[in-house]
Amino acid sequence: MGEELGATDIVPSLEVSDTFEEFSRAPSLEALIQLARDVVSDPTWPTVRAWTRSGRSAVGCFPVYTPQELMHSMGLLPVSLHGGGESIEISHADAALGSFLCSISKSTLELALTSRLAPFRAFVFPYICDVSRNLEGIFPRAVPGATTHMLHLPQNFHSAATVPFLVAEYRRLISKLEKAGGEPYRPERLAASIELFNRQRAEIARLTEMKRLDPGKLTLTESYLIRRLGGLLPREVHLQVLERVRGQLEERPSRPKDAIRVILVGPFCEQPTLDLLDLLEQVGCYVVDDELLQMYRWYDPIDPNGDPLENLATAYVRSTMDIGVRATPTTKGEAILRRVEAAPAQGVLFLTAKFCEPALEDVVLYRNALDRKKIPYLHLEFEERSAAYEQSRLQLETFVESILFD
Amino acid sequence: MVDATAEPQFLTTARDRQRAMVEEYYAGLADAGGPKKPVAYMLVGGNLTELVRSFGYEVVFPEIVALNCAIKHVSLPNILHAESQGYGLDVCGYVKNDLGLQELGGQTPFGRIPPPDLLVCSFSGCYVYVKWWEALAEKYGCPLFMLDVPYMRDDPPLPEDVQYIVAQLNEFIALLEKTTGRTFDLAELKRMLAHSRKAEEGWVNYLASGRRRPSPIEAYFEAVFYMFPINVLRGTPAAAEFYATVNSEVDERVRTGTFPVPEEKFRLVVEGVPPYPSYRTFWDFFRKWGAVSVAATYPKVGGLFDRGFLHDPARPLESIAEYSLGAYVNQSWPLRRKLIEEYVRDFGADAVLIHGIKSCRSFTAGQGDLRDRLIHDLGIPTLYIESDHEDPRYFAPAQIKNRMDAFFESLDRRRGSTPLPLVTT
Repeated sequence: MGEELGATDIVPSLEVSDTFEEFSRAPSLEALIQLARDVVSDPTWPTVRAWTRSGRSAVGCFPVYTPQELMHSMGLLPVSLHGGGESIEISHADAALGSFLCSISKSTLELALTSRLAPFRAFVFPYICDVSRNLEGIFPRAVPGATTHMLHLPQNFHSAATVPFLVAEYRRLISKLEKAGGEPYRPERLAASIELFNRQRAEIARLTEMKRLDPGKLTLTESYLIRRLGGLLPREVHLQVLERVRGQLEERPSRPKDAIRVILVGPFCEQPTLDLLDLLEQVGCYVVDDELLQMYRWYDPIDPNGDPLENLATAYVRSTMDIGVRATPTTKGEAILRRVEAAPAQGVLFLTAKFCEPALEDVVLYRNALDRKKIPYLHLEFEERSAAYEQSRLQLETFVESILFD
Repeated sequence: MVDATAEPQFLTTARDRQRAMVEEYYAGLADAGGPKKPVAYMLVGGNLTELVRSFGYEVVFPEIVALNCAIKHVSLPNILHAESQGYGLDVCGYVKNDLGLQELGGQTPFGRIPPPDLLVCSFSGCYVYVKWWEALAEKYGCPLFMLDVPYMRDDPPLPEDVQYIVAQLNEFIALLEKTTGRTFDLAELKRMLAHSRKAEEGWVNYLASGRRRPSPIEAYFEAVFYMFPINVLRGTPAAAEFYATVNSEVDERVRTGTFPVPEEKFRLVVEGVPPYPSYRTFWDFFRKWGAVSVAATYPKVGGLFDRGFLHDPARPLESIAEYSLGAYVNQSWPLRRKLIEEYVRDFGADAVLIHGIKSCRSFTAGQGDLRDRLIHDLGIPTLYIESDHEDPRYFAPAQIKNRMDAFFESLDRRRGSTPLPLVTT
C-alpha cells in the first residue's frame, strides 16, 4: 500500500545539523522558539533525518505514553508522533481507516501512506484507545518493512501481577527493537537512560511550575513548543535546551495582563494547532495547568538502582496520572477538583479532539463535579486542520468575560 | 430477485424457545438486586459469566440490553437523554443507550433493569468498556473489578498473558468471597464450565452448517437471535439444551430442503455489528438479491468457539483466561484479517460485506484497510457501508440500498448467467 502511494513531491525544507547545536546554542529564547516552531511544523522530520544520517535508527512513538527510556538505552531515538498537524492533506487515510475517527490517527496514517515516515525503522503504538490499537494493525501494510508493535498498557493498577506483566511486555518490545536497529538491551544502560530522563522530567516540571506561578513569564505556546522539542531531539540535547531556557526565563521580565487562570483538560493525545493555543491566551486566559504532552510528566523520578526494567514498569503502574487513558474509577470528579484547587484556577477549559472518545466521556464526569462546586467551564472541540476559529474566539471571549466581570 | 416482503423463516421451535428464554431472563432480573440476589454488570467480550454466577450473582449485560432496546426501536430516547447529560454525538451508542436508560430509571419494554451491586469490567477488546464502567462506578459507587485482558497479538496466546489473567482471576475470587460472604466452590465452577462447553459445541455445530451449499443457516441476521444463550446463559444446562434444539431443526431444514434464502444466489461473509434499529430493513436488502451470509464475525464477539477454543472444566481458570483473550474484537487486525480470509475460503463465499459502525471504533477503525486488502490483494469483491448499531439517525436506507443494489448487480454481471453449482456437503 505504502509503496504504491510513494510521495514523490516530498521536499525536505529544514535541515538540522548532525550535532543539533543550533538548538542548544540558539542566540536567544525567541530564536529557539522560532526554530522549534519550524521543526514542529515540518512534516519531513528534520531532526530524525539528522539523527539517521549516520546510520542510527529512530522509533516513532504514538501518544500518550511509551517507555522511551528503554528505546534510548538501546541507542535508538524515540520520537513522539503527534500526527501531521496543519500541513497534511488527508487523501488516502480516510479510505483505509474510516470516517468517524480523530485527526491524529488519520494524519499519522497519511504520513505513512505517503512515505513521509520513511526515516523511521520502527513504530510503537500503546493501547490508549481502540483507534491507536487498530492503527498498529494496519501500519505494516502502510509501511512495509518497518517494525511495528502494539504495546498493551495495563489498566488494572491494583493487581500484584501487573508489574510482572508489564515487564514481560517490555521484554517483547525489546526483542522487536533489537531487530529494528536497536543495540542489545543492557540493564546498566537503561539505568543511565532513566537518570537522564529523570533530569529531563525535572526540568520540564520546573518549566510548568514557572508557568503556574508566574503565567505572564511565558506564553502557553512557548511552553508547549519547548516541551514538544523533547519528543523530537536527542534527550541529551533537549536537556541542554531546557537548562538554558530556565536561565533565560529567570532573566526575562514578566508581562502580566488582565486574565483568568484556567486549567486545560482534554488534549492529552491529539494536539491543538499552535494558532488555537495562541488564541486561548489572546482572549484572556492564563493556562496554568494543562494536559499537553503528558508523556514528560508521567511519574516522579524513577529509582535507577535495582532492576531498571522493573523500576520503569513500576513507575508506570504506580503513577498518579489521572487522564482519560488510565482507568481511575470513582476518582474523576475528585481529581478535577483537586487540580483546580492546586493550580489554583478560576475555571476549566475542556479542549477535546473531535471523535476522541476517552476525552469526551471524561468531560461529563468532570462537568458533574464542577457543577456541584459551581466552577465555570467551557468545552470546545478541535481538529488538526481547523482553520477558522471565529466561533471558538467568541465562545472563549464570552467565557472569559463571564468570569472577569462576575 | 427474491420476494423480500415475505417474513424471514426462522427455526420454529428454537425461535420460540429463544423468546421464552429472553422473557424468563428479564423477568428474573426484575426481582434481582440487593443481598439476596445481587446483580453484577458485565461486558460481553471476555465475560466471566460462569465465575460470577457460581457466587450467586445475577448478571446484566448492558450491551445486550442496548441492542434489545435498539431492535425494539426504543434506543433513541435513551440516547437523546444521555446527550442531554453531556455525552457527545461521537460517543458509543451502547454507552449512551445504557447511561441514558440508567438515568431514566431502567425501565424497558422487556422489563426493568436493576442497578448493579458489582461492576465487572472485562477489558477485552474495547477501550470504551473502561470509560463506560468508570461512569457507572461514579453513579452507583459499588465495587468495580478491572480484569485487564492483554490484546491478543499471538495465536496461540503467550503464557505470560494467560498467567497475568489467571492471577487477576484469583484476586477477583477473593473479592467475590468478600462481597458475598461465600467460599469459592471450585466444583460448582467446573460443573458450570462443563455446561458451557456443551453449549459451545452445539453453537459451533450450528455455525459450521453455513459451509453447506445451499446454506441451511443465515449466519448473521438469523444467528444473532441464537446468540443470546451462548453469551448470557452460558454455564446453565438450558443453554446446552437450546443448541441441541437448534441443530435438530437445522438438520430438518437440510432434509426437507427448506433454506433461509429459498434460491441462494450469493454467499457472503459479513464483518461488523448489525444496524439494530433497522435490522429487518437491512436484512431485506440482502434477501431480495438471494444473498445469504454463510459466516460472520459479529456472532463471535462473545467468543471464537468455532476456531478451536472451548471452555475446559479440567483447567478452569486457565481456560477462562484463554476465553477472555480470544474474544473477536480483542484480536489484532492481522488475526482478524486472517480469520475473515479463512471464512471466505472455508465457507465458499462469493463476497464480503463490511458494515462499519459510526460510534464503534474498536470494530470499525481499520475496516477500510481490510476492504483494500480483500479487493486489491486477494481479488474478493467487498462492499463497505456505514451506519450505527444503536442510533437510528445514522441509517440512510436509500443510500445503503443503492450501494447494495449496485454491488449485487456487479456481482451478478461478473458471474454472468452461469448458476452456481449446488453442492450439498
